[in-house]
Amino acid sequence: MLELQGLTRRFGAVTAVDDVRLVIPDGQMVGVIGRSGAGKSTLLRMINRLTEPSEGHILYGGQDVTALRGAALRRWRTDCAMIFQQFNLVQRLDVLTNVLVGRLNHRPGVMGTLTSLLKMFTAEERAMAIRVLDRFDLADTALQRADTLSGGQQQRVAICRALLQEPKVMLADEPIASLDPRNAKVVMDALRQVNREDGITVLTNLHHLDTARQYCDRIVAMQAGRVVFDGTPAELTSQRVRDIYGVSEDEFEDSAEEAPARPHPARTRLAVA
Amino acid sequence: MALARPTEAEIAALRSRMPRAFGASTGTRILGAVAWSASIGWIIALLWWFGFSPTRIWNGLSGLGTIIVLMIPPSPGELWMEILKGIAESVAMAFLGTLIAAIVAVPLGLLGAGNVITSTLAHFSIRRVFDGFRGVDQLIWALAYVRAVGLGPLAGVLAIATADIAVLSKLYAEAIETAEKRQAEGIDAVGGGRLLRTRFGLLPQVWPVMLAQALYFFESNTRSASILGVVGAGGIGLQIAERIKVRHWDEVAFIIILMIATVAVIDLISARIRARLIGRREGAAVQ
Repeated sequence: MLELQGLTRRFGAVTAVDDVRLVIPDGQMVGVIGRSGAGKSTLLRMINRLTEPSEGHILYGGQDVTALRGAALRRWRTDCAMIFQQFNLVQRLDVLTNVLVGRLNHRPGVMGTLTSLLKMFTAEERAMAIRVLDRFDLADTALQRADTLSGGQQQRVAICRALLQEPKVMLADEPIASLDPRNAKVVMDALRQVNREDGITVLTNLHHLDTARQYCDRIVAMQAGRVVFDGTPAELTSQRVRDIYGVSEDEFEDSAEEAPARPHPARTRLAVA
Repeated sequence: MALARPTEAEIAALRSRMPRAFGASTGTRILGAVAWSASIGWIIALLWWFGFSPTRIWNGLSGLGTIIVLMIPPSPGELWMEILKGIAESVAMAFLGTLIAAIVAVPLGLLGAGNVITSTLAHFSIRRVFDGFRGVDQLIWALAYVRAVGLGPLAGVLAIATADIAVLSKLYAEAIETAEKRQAEGIDAVGGGRLLRTRFGLLPQVWPVMLAQALYFFESNTRSASILGVVGAGGIGLQIAERIKVRHWDEVAFIIILMIATVAVIDLISARIRARLIGRREGAAVQ
């Protein structure tokens, strides 16, 4: 169970995430929606501590994740995989190595680090990587450089890398915002598969309400850093969207799409305000 | 969530399906081993040829130690003004030489860029001429110019300029080749000619790179200009060489410290200039 208690993040005078309280049971697929600058990315990045919270606590299975440092923090990041909007693969490495990177924190000791530095992965690890790639029809690309793949393929490689971490939670920060509709579907299907078959809790930021309704068990809507809706897809009717955001659903999605990829959360917030 | 561990049989099956994913082929491995042992063998052979031995290096270090002891404390000696004049001359030589090279290299760089001169033959031969000139070191040019125009800084300036024209032209040509085609296409599309396309489509993209490289060269030439004096091409080098001959190491140390300070100042100023000219993106347009 992942629990967020009063999670807050300020950038200077701007409060990007404001007192968010959520309890997410294991195995749930949660969609976080909201317009650009609503604080979705910051919220997700705080959960695996790529961004430090200003206030509040993150608990997983009763353990306070907010207090972790050093090796314990890295262990938490391994448990809590991250999928990025721009995939964040190492472009010049081949697909197989990119996936094997997911094992790095599973290779303990000096020998583990040394063999990792020399890219000496075991046959078992390589077999695991190929099997995961196989699940998403990517095994044929294993020896190609990552930058030769399409965006949809790269995002699936990123999911494979995350799976090799053997995580309990998977965070996906706008995983399909850089993809065309067909690839977006393939990637969302992959995330659902990860959730259903591997039992991994998935927390994903989305700006398409339809995608969120179609794939998620639960939808959390954010506005100006606050959670303004938390319920099932069926409860998030067009009327509810209008009540929350003061615009129709189409207008909501237009405004979400117009916003550029966010270089700095504070700046994007100001642009919206 | 834990992934199922593959069994030995499954690993074997995957290995036979994608052998390359489990490591390089035997042939590649052997080739790699041969390449490694050959390079290690070569390095050992070279060390043996040059008579490297720990004792020689150790003795050399103690010799170096003696020199350093002689350097302390650094002293300007009695020829203060001579030293300052020498350093000023070195800086001036480096400045003039680099300036000439940087200016001449702009048209040459354009000629050497494959996206400006589209004729492969012309572009290829121009590049080879650059390569030829680059094969000759500054010091050789300096020796030649000393014979040609006589002792003094003029020979040094010409040596710096000649040697750098070739290098800068090549660097400029490469910078121009990495420029974006679309921006130049925009100029083509308004009906601009070749010259105007180069002026508006290419130069604005590459000139900050050109300037940055020229400034680096100025800094590095200030250092190398100190050596040109040894062969009589002006600058502080002659004074260093003379002092080493008569073992006035304290004065050599003084000159070296002064040189380091000079280069540091030049580096500081050029870093400022680079930051101002290259970093100017918000608002103010350049050229």
